[in-house]
Amino acid sequence: MYLFVETLEQGLIYSLVVLGVYLSFRILDYADLSVDGTLPLGAAVAAGMIVAGYNPWLATVMATIAGMIGGFITGFLHTKFKINPLLTGILTMTALYSVNLEVMGRANIPLLNQDMIFMPIFGLEEGTFTLGLLIGIVALLVFLLYRFLDTEVGLALRATGNNRQMITSLGVNTDNMKLLGLGLSNGMVSLGGALLAQYQGFADIGMGIGTIIGGLASLIIGEVLLSNGSISRDLIAVVFGSIIFRMIIALVLWLGLPPAYLKLMTAVIVIAALAASNIKSIGLKKESPVYADSN
Amino acid sequence: MLTVTNVIKIFNPGTVNEKKALNGVKLHLKTGDFVTVIGSNGAGKSTLMNIISGVFPAEQGKIIIDGLDVTCHPEYHRGKIIGRVFQDPMMGTAAGMTIEENLVLAFRRGQKRSITKAIKTKDRELFREKLKLLGLNLEHNLQQKVGLLSGGQRQALTLLMATLTKPKLLLLDEHIAALDPNTAYQVMELTKQIIKNNQITTLMITHDLHQALAVGNRTIMMHEGEIVYELKGDERKKASVSTLLSLFEKARGREFSNDRMMLI
Repeated sequence: MYLFVETLEQGLIYSLVVLGVYLSFRILDYADLSVDGTLPLGAAVAAGMIVAGYNPWLATVMATIAGMIGGFITGFLHTKFKINPLLTGILTMTALYSVNLEVMGRANIPLLNQDMIFMPIFGLEEGTFTLGLLIGIVALLVFLLYRFLDTEVGLALRATGNNRQMITSLGVNTDNMKLLGLGLSNGMVSLGGALLAQYQGFADIGMGIGTIIGGLASLIIGEVLLSNGSISRDLIAVVFGSIIFRMIIALVLWLGLPPAYLKLMTAVIVIAALAASNIKSIGLKKESPVYADSN
Repeated sequence: MLTVTNVIKIFNPGTVNEKKALNGVKLHLKTGDFVTVIGSNGAGKSTLMNIISGVFPAEQGKIIIDGLDVTCHPEYHRGKIIGRVFQDPMMGTAAGMTIEENLVLAFRRGQKRSITKAIKTKDRELFREKLKLLGLNLEHNLQQKVGLLSGGQRQALTLLMATLTKPKLLLLDEHIAALDPNTAYQVMELTKQIIKNNQITTLMITHDLHQALAVGNRTIMMHEGEIVYELKGDERKKASVSTLLSLFEKARGREFSNDRMMLI
């Protein structure tokens, strides 16, 4: 039971990361790898500030903002220098490794006996408070994201990922939309990183490795099980996908899989899911982008 | 409404693949003009459209729309005043979004997009009313994904989106060429009706010479990056497809009965 609750909580924290991946990968159609750098960035900023004595809530907010800046940099590289999206993510991720080390000052910051956002208030029992707080944060963000994606700007953002040519012809600057989308996405991922560091009690330089693949695996699991194409269902699917993915990991570890094999297993899940959807071609295929005839 | 002055466009300048796609094009459209554009492949018709809409910049020349010099404006900027329908029915609509979402994106053309709920109840009423005019029964399926519609339906929807807020200029780039004959006829009828009812200044590329004369009030013929002939008024009324073909021959300066089929 304890293991179950812990896995559930991890799943909730990671669902913020998966929401970020959903924003870049699905909404914006941008394969953004910078999340491998912005997750530990969030953890580093939060842990660094908490150790330095700042309020943990302030530290969490600043971590989110740091992640957004990371996303903007990725977007900037793509929109201003016309660098391939995949490469922009790799560049940001690589550069952030140094930044994260600089922010943390060492490879690992333990957060023992520090004041963190999971400290219970109102005299609540610690376990209840942590779970309640996480559910509250995730529910709030899902709600805000749902409302945002239905606004005029939100629709323009979705159209940018769906049909860039069309939304440009309707007077929208798609460069700005990409910057906005990547900023929001990486902000969510960094927020996830900040919560994760506080939850597990340390920030580590290596904690971002495989973020994108784990995020994709969660995303695909959620979509296959729950999605019906509407935004509201997608968002809920993302959260449940994340929880189920963490459950699967907990299960295989419990069954005795050596932890070193986790990343391999994650990659296999993603490959299997992608291969299955492509072989069956069950309408998940996107239209290939059409470029204006140069004639 | 539209003035194009001495526009030159060169693709791949300085390389062996250098191609002068537009060679000093001059064109003026008065408000309410409906001009059809004809010419063989590679004549520069699509390039002209793309230059006007800002897909790529011109090497030289000026483009003025409604008194505003847009020569250096980016594509999205011009999108606020130009309506466009592309040849490919997939290009003008967002497949993964619903009919009403597509329409509301078009409905906010030229306005600042805010962080308020995009689709209001009164918008829906207007969309239903407009969709009814298409006669495709789309007004009952506002929440349907556009990707599920047929090519003809999507093209009709694109046309509606391009004209939902009256554009200063409407560009139609062979917008019915990819449709089956019956659907093409319907979309063309719709096009004529919308343009007439709203008095929209329009530039339409077509490969159908008969249609080039049948719709609009002027016809221009392009060849090797230039506008070589223009027909209007009585001259145009008297003209037939064979008139156009002989003009093509003159433009090319040689007999071309062998590839006549290409033009029809």
